[in-house]
Amino acid sequence: MAHTSAPVRNGHPLHPGKNDVGLRNGFSKNGQHLHHTKGGLYKRPFTESFEQAPLYVAVLTYMGFGVVTLFGYFRDFLRAWGFEKCNLAQEREEQKDFVPLYQDFENFYTRNLYMRVRDNWNRPICSLPGPQFDLMERVSDDYNWTFRHTGKVIDGVINMGSYNYLGFAENDPTFLTSVEESNEKYGSGVCSTRQEMGNLDIHEELEKLVATFLGVESAMTFGMGFATNAMNIPALVGKGCLILSDELNHTSLVLGARLSGSTIRVFKHNNMQSLEKLLRDAVVHGQPRSHRPWKKILIIVEGIYSMEGSIVRLPEIIALKKKYKAYLYLDEAHSIGAVGPTGRGVVEFFELDPRDIDVLMGTFTKSFGSSGGYIAGKKELVDFLRLHSHSAVYATSMSPPVAEQILRSMKCIMGLDGTTIGIQRVRRLAENTRYFRQRLNEMGFIIYGHEESPVVPLLLFMPGKVGAFAREMLKRKIGVVVVGFPATPITEARARFCVSAAHTTPMLDKVLNALDELGDHLVLKYSRHTRSSRPELYDETSFEMDD
Amino acid sequence: MNVGTAHSEVNPNTRVMNSRGIWLSYVLAIGLLHIILLSIPFVSVPVVWTLTNLIHNTGMYIFLHTVKGTPFETPDQGKARLLTHWEQMDYGVQFTASRKFLTITPIVLYFLTSFYTKYDRIHFVINTLSLLTVLIPKLPQLHGVRLFGINKY
Repeated sequence: MAHTSAPVRNGHPLHPGKNDVGLRNGFSKNGQHLHHTKGGLYKRPFTESFEQAPLYVAVLTYMGFGVVTLFGYFRDFLRAWGFEKCNLAQEREEQKDFVPLYQDFENFYTRNLYMRVRDNWNRPICSLPGPQFDLMERVSDDYNWTFRHTGKVIDGVINMGSYNYLGFAENDPTFLTSVEESNEKYGSGVCSTRQEMGNLDIHEELEKLVATFLGVESAMTFGMGFATNAMNIPALVGKGCLILSDELNHTSLVLGARLSGSTIRVFKHNNMQSLEKLLRDAVVHGQPRSHRPWKKILIIVEGIYSMEGSIVRLPEIIALKKKYKAYLYLDEAHSIGAVGPTGRGVVEFFELDPRDIDVLMGTFTKSFGSSGGYIAGKKELVDFLRLHSHSAVYATSMSPPVAEQILRSMKCIMGLDGTTIGIQRVRRLAENTRYFRQRLNEMGFIIYGHEESPVVPLLLFMPGKVGAFAREMLKRKIGVVVVGFPATPITEARARFCVSAAHTTPMLDKVLNALDELGDHLVLKYSRHTRSSRPELYDETSFEMDD
Repeated sequence: MNVGTAHSEVNPNTRVMNSRGIWLSYVLAIGLLHIILLSIPFVSVPVVWTLTNLIHNTGMYIFLHTVKGTPFETPDQGKARLLTHWEQMDYGVQFTASRKFLTITPIVLYFLTSFYTKYDRIHFVINTLSLLTVLIPKLPQLHGVRLFGINKY
């Protein structure tokens, strides 16, 4: 697998702390603490795992894809020769001799694999996406080509798919009074850009609060999280600059990088040797043909990667950035509010100085229950963006009730509203995450990612299991998100759970019991590194087999 | 489904042959084909080996050198639409590990077939022609070449 070229394994029970690759992780003993933390860069051990399944699982996955492909060709043959009704759009009779408008092979996967399991995506919900939601029941009479709502509502489905990390997706009227008042006062639309008439006092207040929250000089907010990346990276870098972007960066970052016109080089996911090699090549060789020095080198990484659940190796990146004089752009879409002792993101998680990171970016969609994004950093940077960002000039500014929701949730997290609800939620999320991951590891599933990331991808591997898993979970009234090829590598189809602070322990237990049952029924427990739930075993100094 | 989105892995098809376990699956599939052919009651062992060789080479020619494009939409604006899977592998970089493996496997199969057919003349001619149809398209000089306009669009 290309992106796990530096797999970091958990400490095996018989060999605590002994590892094959680079960074030490796992359960370190006090005397060897420095040795395990890469010269003191990491204050705590960095425990990530991307365990590989046994080889027979990969073989069976390819067999599954092979069977589906053969059946796909067979069904296409039947459809072409009229033995089977064709439900797809077709060209008109009169146009049959023209050059075809679309290449029908590009649609092969969609019509022969996706259509079969399509009922697991785009499910309409009819309540707010809190820890539980209500689903509209829909059935299909023609094998997922069309859907029909029966009119019934499946209520109380546990929501394991929403990015509701701190549980702010809630409908409680006592919490939302200020949002309602701002709607009465300002209306719901701003109808102008930031530079013209759309700069309201609520935006200024929000930006000051965001800057205080993050511990930086200044911040700027934008109406849409995706657009924050896509519109601001072109303002920061351009032709003659170099962008070093992680392999698994989000679409918005890739789009922003492409729009900027700079040279883009991709380094392997979270792999610091790959990044260092690219940095050295860039500094030594300069631009491709002229060998002039690059105007700027910008490293773009994310805080938590939502498909892998991995956390960025921020201390090492900052060390590299200082050594090679590059700039760092950190996209904390999933990590702001979700990690760190007080919810300040990966910077606090690693106990680093936010002034070391040049551009801090994040979104309000995930942990704050709102929408929009921010960019924070030094005052010169943010002032520059206020003038030169495409969003500031052309895009409508954030809607006032949305801004008020961010204000109230951020004040709640910081404790400025006079209660401890915010910090309790942050702690609750951390507890839920640890509990969920620990139980899943004990059960024997293969989970990807860092042990403290609230995004938990559970590997399913085979295309058939993807559909079966989602449907069985829905029967047990649990809603999950599953992803397969080509959004993930071909052997790594997965189900992604997002733990929320609003999940109570009984809810998580219900999910875990269902997973336990399904894991046996569908044979999903492929992990060969079964971890004990009693960590003191890892500090053993004698390695007798029957101890 | 990353259909219509920007992704740093522009064409997942390029990495499929490097994925974990696919070489083993390929060899096992050839073995399975051979066993199925061996189970047919009336054919002799040399004929079975020649049939294995022929069917394998035909399948390889169809899937690697005839079918063009990708079975899903890619965000590369159609650069791979006119390329066969062999040409798409590793974005056109020649002599990578997978390419070498896929070149050597038909040759090894050819050696085994020649042995088990006892170098009989007719079998030899058929097997050699079949091997050539599968080896010639893999030459780097023939990257993107379409002879006589066959399979161009």
